[in-house]
Amino acid sequence: MLSEDERARYSRHLLLPEFGEAGQEKLRAARVLVVGAGGLGSPAALYLAAAGVGTLGLVDHDRVDISNLQRQVLFDTASLGAGKAETARARLRALNPLIDVQAHSVELRASNAQSLIEPYDLVIDGSDRLATRYLVNDLCVLLKKPLVSAAIHRFEGQAMSYLPGRGPCYRCLFPKSADGVVPNCAEAGVLGVLPGILGSLQATEALKIVLGIGTPLAGRLLTFDALAMSWHEFSFTRRADCAVCGDAPSIRSANDSVAAGLDNSSSGIERLEPQQLQALLASAQSAAAAVTLVDVRAPREYSAGHLRVAINIPLPDLSRRLVELPLDSQLIFICRSGGRSWAAATQAAGAGYRSLAHLEGGMLAWAATLDPSMVVAPA
Amino acid sequence: MKHVVRIPGPLRSYTQDAAQVQASGDTLVELLAALDRAHPGMRFRIIDEQDRIRPHIRIFVNTREMPTLATPLAAGDEVHLICALSGG
Repeated sequence: MLSEDERARYSRHLLLPEFGEAGQEKLRAARVLVVGAGGLGSPAALYLAAAGVGTLGLVDHDRVDISNLQRQVLFDTASLGAGKAETARARLRALNPLIDVQAHSVELRASNAQSLIEPYDLVIDGSDRLATRYLVNDLCVLLKKPLVSAAIHRFEGQAMSYLPGRGPCYRCLFPKSADGVVPNCAEAGVLGVLPGILGSLQATEALKIVLGIGTPLAGRLLTFDALAMSWHEFSFTRRADCAVCGDAPSIRSANDSVAAGLDNSSSGIERLEPQQLQALLASAQSAAAAVTLVDVRAPREYSAGHLRVAINIPLPDLSRRLVELPLDSQLIFICRSGGRSWAAATQAAGAGYRSLAHLEGGMLAWAATLDPSMVVAPA
Repeated sequence: MKHVVRIPGPLRSYTQDAAQVQASGDTLVELLAALDRAHPGMRFRIIDEQDRIRPHIRIFVNTREMPTLATPLAAGDEVHLICALSGG
């Protein structure tokens, strides 16, 4: 039974035939965990609190920074420097004192993911790291919790829902990725209102799933482009070979999830953008830091145009000439478009070299972004 | 056969920030090769050394995936390159 206070507060919900008092009671009994009290988590948590979700958990170990206020509407100028989870808790309780809000001021990691997620019925992923996204997804699959996931980049966003036993998971959509391959908001910038749209969408999905109404975003990827003001929807299915929800899963715990690794961490090979390489070379010059730049193209391509400090070891010769390369120096491989340099870095990793990188997109990317005068010969 | 190709934000550095480009090809294999000729280096961001779609990328034709990269495209098919995003 709802109280008089609740009937008054949720009266617009109670008018909806899809809700009724029973629906509102379902929301009151629901426990939803919001991972990341940032751009996405702010509107999601605000709407879920306003809607009367009985228990809301917020996981965030960060403090409020002034650069957050352009989009993280849970916070205001007076909250600068304060812990996000605690500040959000106060804000949500002020909005709706009838609900319980749990502040988890910790970073979600393999060691605590299960105990954080287990007490909740549904998870909203608003984190800003791919490593966290995979950990949250894998735990939701293992613990059979519905997950509403969204992510943003500059002017675009994407969202999907995972329903245990009823559709594919995030890892079915993107089996693997790596922070660094895909830039986050701090690196790439983001339109402030964009997470408002995607986070509100996440709250909508969460309410629908709790109430069991409508058609959830399961097996569907929804994308949004704010510049074009267009939405697209794509169908995808469960992968039989998915590492966590497939027929023979290799991920059976939070530790497995982390060990399943990301492109970067598993291989240990860093992918450098031209600007990053330029900065590295500049700092190496001034600090005499040990960086060895190896151009693995054919001698003919190398002679046509190459970076001044690069030495030339053509890829076919690399295995026998690896001994020429110092073990205590960072090795950066470059080629024309990034294919051979990656192969070279992988070979060096196999030979025991630990500090490895390659230039993403190769000399073509270098010429396109930094030095149009650079001659890049055809392969 | 020319197709509209939608470019995700993280790959727009290859298309001078264009959100969509046109590329020719009767299959995705041909279309990706054409994309790479017009935007050098782009294919390697989508396809790995073993000619597989990279695990943080999906290629949808209209609203679905093709069974293989060699499946014939139809006239008017729109190709969407989708990249995993990390921002929150």
